[in-house]
Amino acid sequence: MGNNIMRRWPALMPVAISVLLYAFTVIVQPSALNWTAVTSIVMLTLLLSFASAGQTLVLIGGGMDFTVGAVMSASAILTAAIMNSQDGRFLPAFGAVMVMSVAIGLLNGVCTVKIGLPPLIVTMAISNVVSRLQYILTQGSPLGYASPAFIRTVTSQLFGVVPSLTLYALVLFPLMFYILNRSRLGHQVYLVGNNPVAARLNGIGVNKVVILTYVISAVFSGFTGMLGAAYMQSAKCQMFDEYAYNSLIAVIVGGTALTGGVGTYTGTIAGALLMVVLNNTLTTPALQLTPPMRNILLGLVMVLLLILYNRGKAVRQ
Amino acid sequence: MSQRLQQGFSQFRKNPAFAGFVLFAFTILLNAVIQGPGSFFGVRRLNTLIYTSLPFLLVVMAQSVLLLSGTMDISVGVQVALVNVVTIMTMQEWGLSFILACGLGIGAAIIASLVCWLLVSVLRLPALLASFALTYAIRGVNVLIMSVAQGKVPREFYRPYQSAIFDMVPASILALVLALLVWAYVRRTRFGTNIYAVGANPRNAFAAGINPAKVQLQAFMLKGLFVGMAGICLTLVTASGNPTQAEDYGIRSLAACIIGGLSFGGWGSMACGVFGGSFLILTQNAVEFSFRRLGVLIPGFTASTYWQNFVSDIIIFLGLLMTMVTAKGQREALRINLQNSVMFKRRAAHGK
Repeated sequence: MGNNIMRRWPALMPVAISVLLYAFTVIVQPSALNWTAVTSIVMLTLLLSFASAGQTLVLIGGGMDFTVGAVMSASAILTAAIMNSQDGRFLPAFGAVMVMSVAIGLLNGVCTVKIGLPPLIVTMAISNVVSRLQYILTQGSPLGYASPAFIRTVTSQLFGVVPSLTLYALVLFPLMFYILNRSRLGHQVYLVGNNPVAARLNGIGVNKVVILTYVISAVFSGFTGMLGAAYMQSAKCQMFDEYAYNSLIAVIVGGTALTGGVGTYTGTIAGALLMVVLNNTLTTPALQLTPPMRNILLGLVMVLLLILYNRGKAVRQ
Repeated sequence: MSQRLQQGFSQFRKNPAFAGFVLFAFTILLNAVIQGPGSFFGVRRLNTLIYTSLPFLLVVMAQSVLLLSGTMDISVGVQVALVNVVTIMTMQEWGLSFILACGLGIGAAIIASLVCWLLVSVLRLPALLASFALTYAIRGVNVLIMSVAQGKVPREFYRPYQSAIFDMVPASILALVLALLVWAYVRRTRFGTNIYAVGANPRNAFAAGINPAKVQLQAFMLKGLFVGMAGICLTLVTASGNPTQAEDYGIRSLAACIIGGLSFGGWGSMACGVFGGSFLILTQNAVEFSFRRLGVLIPGFTASTYWQNFVSDIIIFLGLLMTMVTAKGQREALRINLQNSVMFKRRAAHGK
């Protein structure tokens, strides 16, 4: 019964745990309950869930994309360099980021399909190359700032309360739901992830679908990198690298299977919320955690989360 | 004669280690060409290259054992640092002798491996994510034990390690030979056979009367031993302690194994890992040397380490592309062999 509920509402559990964690934080430190803290949690959650959108698609299709972090950093650097704190340069920056993202996505997709090696290794090698390129481009120091107008579209408060980043969510979330649940491609991705051979026998161009998932993933992470540049105002090399693993964990915690074929975007958003709230709790001043203790706790909690959801089938059946 | 040579070569081409060997031979040649054979194969330079890269090579061997048994562990990097930290701190704080401290260091690596086994084989968590979570925990433990880089190793221990016996053979290579001997022995035991069965398909192995969890336990223990040796070697290279070193060994060792021709479970051999690891080391060596040489040849040419890293990562990526040609052919050969043997048996059964 409990299992059934979890399968039908994969987002329920992460949201419940997030609420409990936040409640715990507030009990330990009552001052944590304020609008600024909530706003920052919402914004970070949105960023992580945008970045994880493509990762969800790739994982459902049976792949894995480790370039999310590198693409985000590279796109943030491009955005800051092109905008150079001047308004009216959104389109050139957007164009450059999209060209780069599509190129990296194509490279990811074609290489995983053609090399036939585990996507983990292929995308990681590509992500390394992208990270090195950032250093060559910037020589290790930040190149400029995002334009003031663009920063305002991300960080200002609508009606004084709602962070304006939610406006992007109003576009990106429905887009992702459309791709995953309503479009032809979405159905094909589920089928390919479930059983590539059966999908091919049913006339689906498996390679084409897989490559497309990688391209979409890179485009999502590229755009999130732009938003990230505005959120952070400037861009450093490798500054979003942790999003590679964080997006993966958010997606897994949201009930998507590593083996492919199963998963929802709602779950991913809930998983992203959980990751952000967890980080927020661990950095609460009242808990007085030293950085090493924080690391140990983060590791333990991640293990616990994995135990809750992602255990493999027993060999003895 | 030539026919036999040809036959031998075509046999070797079907060997899983062929892809890794080609890359390894290529980088040896590359190094010899750009540095000059006399200089590259000179005892002093070769000795330095071997003793500094030995820790990584041992980690790659550890990772290979896990890959053969169908799991992996990306926290091996922080585990190497754990061995280093435990060795130095027990020596410094408790006044233990270096040998005893090394024993404790290896013990720490084996305990860390057991924890990973518990998560991966007993609790059946996805190996990649479980060991990633473990990376955080072990990193925290490392810093708890040793907050900042400190400590030193007695001279009488690191000098011999970094020297060459009779000015001919690097002493450090003994550690590699020891590890390879351990593996050669283990490979001949029942465990050495079972590890392939479990790696290829735990369910089928279980049906055949093998306990997958037990085999993976043995694999993790062996991996802990190798990681412990790697940590000791690293301690002897740097002759001090540092809680944040060697963190990238985890991912890089995985890449080395895959480039060498191992896949996730049941395919490949230890030679794949060793060749793949050597490929990464030699690539970096060649790139570093040629950038230094370019700086001397062309006045005013200052290439930052950024370019060096970029070029070596490009070469590693090309190495992955290479496996498309080499490794695929081998897997094809394996498949055809299997098919033939099955067909043959069927034909025999039907009396044709």
